[in-house]
Amino acid sequence: MDTASFAHSLQGWTGGGPLWVWAALSAFLIIYLIALPFGGFATYVERKLAADFQDRIGPNRVGPYGLLQFIADAVKMISKEDFIPAGADRFLYNLAPLMVVVGACAAFAVLPLSRYLMGADVNIGIFYVLSISTLVAPGILLGSWSSNNKWSLLGGLRGAAQIVSYEIPVALSILPVVMISGTLQIGSIVEQQGWAPGAENAAAYHFWNVFHNPFCFVASILLFIGGLAETNRIPFDLPEAESELVSGFNTEFSGMRFGLYALGEFAEIFVMSAMITALYLGGWHIPFLNLESLFIKLPTGLMAIIQLGMFSIKTLSLVFVVMWLRWTLPRLRVDQLMGMCWKGLVPLALVNLFGTAVWMWVFNGRSLAQLIFGVAGH
Amino acid sequence: MSETAKIILVLFQLLTLASALLVTFSPNILYASISLLFAFLGVAIMFLYAGADFLAGVQVVVYIGGVTILVLFAIMLTSWMYQVKLRDSRGKLIVPLLLALFGLLPFLYQGAQHLASRVLRTVPPDFQTFAYSPKTNAVGEALLGNYLLPFEGITVLLLGALVGAVWLARPK
Repeated sequence: MDTASFAHSLQGWTGGGPLWVWAALSAFLIIYLIALPFGGFATYVERKLAADFQDRIGPNRVGPYGLLQFIADAVKMISKEDFIPAGADRFLYNLAPLMVVVGACAAFAVLPLSRYLMGADVNIGIFYVLSISTLVAPGILLGSWSSNNKWSLLGGLRGAAQIVSYEIPVALSILPVVMISGTLQIGSIVEQQGWAPGAENAAAYHFWNVFHNPFCFVASILLFIGGLAETNRIPFDLPEAESELVSGFNTEFSGMRFGLYALGEFAEIFVMSAMITALYLGGWHIPFLNLESLFIKLPTGLMAIIQLGMFSIKTLSLVFVVMWLRWTLPRLRVDQLMGMCWKGLVPLALVNLFGTAVWMWVFNGRSLAQLIFGVAGH
Repeated sequence: MSETAKIILVLFQLLTLASALLVTFSPNILYASISLLFAFLGVAIMFLYAGADFLAGVQVVVYIGGVTILVLFAIMLTSWMYQVKLRDSRGKLIVPLLLALFGLLPFLYQGAQHLASRVLRTVPPDFQTFAYSPKTNAVGEALLGNYLLPFEGITVLLLGALVGAVWLARPK
């Protein structure tokens, strides 16, 4: 079910009303059902993990095991004084956090949660995610400039330079998948990764793209590193390096505006993990098991829930790795960051791209799993 | 196209026009460049309405993700850039205005024709609307098929620009 058909059925159930109202509502539903709860819960998990890594207890006062801490945080942020520093550019100061949130949350529209549960399976899916998330960079840059603070401006310039640079290895690491699948449509890319032993029409399906060939394996790791840098996470959190720049681009932001920046960051982490899951880790597919060809026929709703669960497990494991790295690795220097991107990741990504092309040519488009189990090429 | 879709399209066209005007007339160079961002966004949405989804994506990636960011960078790294007054003497405006009017003539002519047909109740010149259909495959095949030579020419040009930039920025 996608948002368009969901809007139609909402219109049907309630018996009328203009369609665009229901369409807008169902679009908001994605954000309120996924982005906001995830953002809130991720702050809790991150603090708990930090506590575990540092041998502390962490939040434990609000609710059982401190589970409701994020609700208390949200209430605090909303009820804080709405504060704009003197000398700030009011219009841009208000606009900038919104651009970050819009850029991050708009990508949720094409996330393939399950075969039967997807906002919109548009034809240019991957390209849409890449393009809409470029709105984040001007958001950070303008927010830093408008708060009239030198630390902010330095952080913002770093952030924009970092995001623009790391977009290139990210795009180059997505291209091998596009080359293998021959499409930009995320739904059909995930579909092609559903190979299971004994499946009929096995030539059309290869196993997870990460195991398609050795170059793809490297490309998926590059994609993860690049995504980490694009979301400004440690070890790439130079835009808000608190030991040098107070809090970087969001130094002057407080209350809900700061909350929006934080929500945007967590939404970006989710989108990045979900994209890696969909492109390389087989999306909603359960490894070596095809739900459609079981000996009993499962109802569609149940299959949707199982697939959603599988997708969430993969995505949230990646989110866990992101948080794990945060408390493990030290921060890079600016020159190291740029050197790593332009001298390390970009050439390696180009090698992967070329290597995948050679593999496709030599083995007639077959994946490693298909070669091992002797499937004819397509 | 449904009525709602038409209204949304007109709203975005107004947004594009207003931001384009702001780019030209805003005395603050930073606001001008941010208006440029919204003008680019509006153009991308118009591409979507014309059924060119891939082009809309390219518009956003290249112009918002690349050009606007570079412009913002250039502004923020130039000292006293926001204090520069972007006003010129009136006399210098005449030739550009004439040129702009000359460029606008076809559109003005079409608009007048449309208006006349409304008044005279004749059939208006047909505004073409396109049904949505994916264009990515067609674009890819055109670039690497029929138009391979110009495509390769542009890549060589871009490579030259890249090498030139590295040469300019080399340590002396």
